[in-house]
Amino acid sequence: MKKWLILFVLIILATLQLSWPALLSFFNAKPDLLLIFSLSLVFYFNFKFALAAAILAGLLKDAFLPAGMAINTLLFGVWSYLTFRLSSQISTENNYVRLSIILIIAVLNNTALGIQSLSSGNYIPAGIFLRKLIISSVYTTAFSPLVFKLTKRIAA
Amino acid sequence: MFKPSRKTIISFILIVCAVFLISAFSPFFRNSAQKTFKPHLTLIDLLKRECAGIIFYHRNMVELASLNNEAENLRRRLFDLREVEQENLRLKNLLNFKQKSPLRLVSARVIASSPDSWSSSVIIDKGRHSGIRRGMAVINAQGLVGRVIESAEDNSKVLLINDPGQGVSSIVQRSRQEGLVSGTLGANLIMRYLPDDAQIAVGDIIITSELSQVYPKGLLVGRVINIGKEFSGLSRYAVVKPAAELSSIEEVLVIIP
Repeated sequence: MKKWLILFVLIILATLQLSWPALLSFFNAKPDLLLIFSLSLVFYFNFKFALAAAILAGLLKDAFLPAGMAINTLLFGVWSYLTFRLSSQISTENNYVRLSIILIIAVLNNTALGIQSLSSGNYIPAGIFLRKLIISSVYTTAFSPLVFKLTKRIAA
Repeated sequence: MFKPSRKTIISFILIVCAVFLISAFSPFFRNSAQKTFKPHLTLIDLLKRECAGIIFYHRNMVELASLNNEAENLRRRLFDLREVEQENLRLKNLLNFKQKSPLRLVSARVIASSPDSWSSSVIIDKGRHSGIRRGMAVINAQGLVGRVIESAEDNSKVLLINDPGQGVSSIVQRSRQEGLVSGTLGANLIMRYLPDDAQIAVGDIIITSELSQVYPKGLLVGRVINIGKEFSGLSRYAVVKPAAELSSIEEVLVIIP
């Protein structure tokens, strides 16, 4: 039952991310709800399930992106695995620790996406690159407590 | 700190390979995901528009009054221009000009935008059923919007002109100076490869050039708002404000050649 619920939430979050209102997009940046959800699953569910959900979330995101390469599918899996390893080394019960993890991963994820875009020959001015990187990451982190609450409620 | 076992690494690599095979070599998942999401994305788009209508009621009312005025003026001008058009037609026929076939346009509604901040694309609610194919140019009433990069049965993906992967061969309308307009992910576009003595000034209008394989010649791209020198010092660039409001497009027209 919970697994179907997770799938349902994934679809809802993907829909929300796809139809994010232009009014709430700061400098065309939007929060990566699918990334937060796939990481929050690591904290509340068993790793294998969280990894499968993260890969599915990545696939879902890639399906709506113009790039042919499934970079999010790969990255979401990697971040999910690294978060799992980190949570077995340090205590991630504290909300601030979780927020920090989300912020770091959001920065890494955005950096990887930006570098992938640059390496495919695209020209992005340095100012816009940094602005996107910072605003997207902070915006993603700001939305994570809400998604954490949702995941916690599903897991309970 | 991180010492994954051999089994974990192998299974992870296998999963990644499987995922790559699924996503990179089969468009099936993309098409079915887009098809699954289409009904509720359309519904949400409808709700969003209704909510915006209620929230911005006063602004819309003022805008409506000014648009009504403008429409009245334009109607008057149209009446005058009809005479000119008739005259133009008569003269063209007299001169035996070859009539250029008009562009066939398919109107579509934007139902979703790119899920991340590193690309600029939208999904429209028309696809192959309506004759839309990959590579077709997309415009709106204000100007050039982008081009179709994927078309499924009843939806298509459009890469907007402010995506860095997009390049539009363009010219300055006044001086016919050529350059390549590409996206920067920001609000403005950049026109590059302009020679040092390029005939370009702030306020110039940029249109698509006939060198473009994708876009018909003469589509309005935007207006020059700034000119600068490339880091190498060999060429110049121009910052172009797109004619179309790309962050909030709702309806587009696909040009069917």
